[in-house]
Amino acid sequence: MAGVERRPRLASVVTVLFFAWLYAPIVAVVVFSFNSIRSLSTFGGVSTRWYASFFHDDSLIRSLLASIAIATVSAVGALVLGTMLALGLERISSRTGRAVGAVTLLPLVTPEIVTGVAALLFFHGLGLKLSLLTVTLAEITFSIAYVTVIVRGRLAAMSPEVEEAARDLGCTPWQAVRLVTLPTLVPALVGAGLLVFALVFDDFVLAFFTTGVDPQPLPVRIYSSIRFGVSPAINAVGTVVLAFSALLIVLALVAPRLLRRGGAGGLDLITGGERS
Amino acid sequence: MTIPPPTAQTPLHRRPAVPGQPGEARSPGPESAVRLRGLTKTFGGQTVVDALDLEIGRGEFFSLLGPSGCGKTTTLRMIAGFSDPTAGTIEVGGEDVTSVPPHRRDVNTVFQSYALFDHLDVRRNVGFGLRRKGIDRGEADRRVAEALELVQLADRARDRPAQLSGGQRQRVALARAIVNRPQLLLLDEPLAALDLKLRRAMQLELKAIQREVGITFLFVTHDQDEAMSMSDRIAIMHDGLIEQCGTPEDVYENPTSVFAAGFIGTSNLMPGTYRAGRVHVCDGLAVPVSGEGLVDGESVSVAVRPEKIWLSELTDAMVRVPGRVAASSYHGATTQYLVDVAPGVTLTVLEQNLPRMRPEDRWTKGAQVELGWLPEHGVVLR
Ligand SMILES: Nc1ncnc2c1ncn2[C@@H]1O[C@H](COP(=O)(O)OP(=O)(O)OP(=O)(O)O)[C@@H](O)[C@H]1O
Ligand SMILES: [Mg+2]
Repeated sequence: MAGVERRPRLASVVTVLFFAWLYAPIVAVVVFSFNSIRSLSTFGGVSTRWYASFFHDDSLIRSLLASIAIATVSAVGALVLGTMLALGLERISSRTGRAVGAVTLLPLVTPEIVTGVAALLFFHGLGLKLSLLTVTLAEITFSIAYVTVIVRGRLAAMSPEVEEAARDLGCTPWQAVRLVTLPTLVPALVGAGLLVFALVFDDFVLAFFTTGVDPQPLPVRIYSSIRFGVSPAINAVGTVVLAFSALLIVLALVAPRLLRRGGAGGLDLITGGERS
Repeated sequence: MTIPPPTAQTPLHRRPAVPGQPGEARSPGPESAVRLRGLTKTFGGQTVVDALDLEIGRGEFFSLLGPSGCGKTTTLRMIAGFSDPTAGTIEVGGEDVTSVPPHRRDVNTVFQSYALFDHLDVRRNVGFGLRRKGIDRGEADRRVAEALELVQLADRARDRPAQLSGGQRQRVALARAIVNRPQLLLLDEPLAALDLKLRRAMQLELKAIQREVGITFLFVTHDQDEAMSMSDRIAIMHDGLIEQCGTPEDVYENPTSVFAAGFIGTSNLMPGTYRAGRVHVCDGLAVPVSGEGLVDGESVSVAVRPEKIWLSELTDAMVRVPGRVAASSYHGATTQYLVDVAPGVTLTVLEQNLPRMRPEDRWTKGAQVELGWLPEHGVVLR
């Protein structure tokens, strides 16, 4: 029947339109970052002048470095605290564990704007001057939940007998965690760390509320520069950030597979990615 | 039994298996590998292990046999140190270890789930305990190689556990434990995850390895065949209590409780009242028994194993009961009959299909028969 044959074609057209709608703006950013003229609507030939102007803009570079620093410190901080939380939750009684576990997830569902305002008021109340430190503290607080969810997922798949086997073979409880539990968790930790880095690196809302004046995290810096007129240099910045984030996401997806054959790790647990 | 403890000089797989002889003082120190006194565990008011007293000799292959939930794992976990006893003491090699943490007990465990370390290869898994003990590299490598040789996995030393089959993982778990030469090895249903054929093969292998290394094994299972075929002694556990403890033969031939008689093999149980040298099961059925220690009017049961009952060649020395065949089923090596001997009393009889027997020699349904068993095979249980 004709109708049956046409339907898939319609579906593929819709799919193409959907992806076009989704990615056209991003493609435009990438394309226009190589524009040789100042226009944001006509393409005047290929050039890297906007990249040059980006790399010569000290303030933009400082923002880029600041964002990398914030994301790195946040990833490490959230990994340490989130893993400790996950290990702790594993050891307390199951009912308390479930309750505390649910509370841990709250940051994931709280609107970020609320978290942002709350963080701002909190730092203000403490009398802390807004700076990269306050941004980082806010981002860590926000990211712990991601790490905890991922690590708990992996811990749940790990038999408690494994840690007991370590103790049976001569490990103190701490050595059992260090020599057996943590190494087993490595793929999940790598995935979680990369995920937090990617999330924090381009986070705008939380950064906007908690940052000081200079240097600002890159997303905030871009936003403020746009308010004074759009320079095509922004496209170059956008493309660099995009490439960087894409690289991290790919790493987050691939690293656990490379580190451990089989089983879920890292991002799989969030994306529901297929298990090998 | 006394078997010298493993020494660093004797290679693990070449140590002669010294037959244990009672009273032979070959090794200094206490005779028992483990001694439990009044060991008790309660979980929120529920007593799971109830004042257990148990002593296992050095080099013994000892099985803890019991139905699911009777407290076997709980007992093992207390001996390993993962769970604190509510009351009682645990001695390993004559030393009270009740409050010693697991990593300082000279006891190793083979877990039911194997609990291998996925991030380490087979060699490192097996060498894990030796490294923790600070045994020097060369010595450790040598012992790991020996242990892998023993479990026939020398060629898989560099594989990850994920690359091994169930049976191979089981053997890695075993090698990882015995390489430490503990005073006592705890095995919690180590073969339960294997299919029947592999399980039979591993039973033989496990027993051979135990004989070779001479380490005391405390083996938990709920498979009675497994316990019977491998153990020097068996303890039957029921609801946190040890119902009976003895050699497989002893436990099978002389059960001391209704539970033990029913749990190991099958038994024909005839409950009744003892009076004047007989157990009166019902009208028309009074089984003569040796009435030692019994008083008239006592409620007891007589247990007779199905293969101890004869259907032909009866002698005058036997307890003889007439009956009617209610069903028969052919099992190749044996034929099983259900015989009604009184209203509501049906006995199971297992007859060997001997070479001289022809098909027409088998009883058919409805046949009138006479059963007989020797008085000593009718075990009186209170
Ligand atoms: N941590 C615990 N908290 C509460 N009850 C427990 C705990 N561990 C075991 N039990 C209870 O103790 C009883 C005995 O458990 P155990 O695991 O020792 O049985 P088992 O003999 O090993 O059985 P199986 O053959 O099924 O392994 C069970 O009723 C179980 O529910
Ligand atoms: Mg158990």
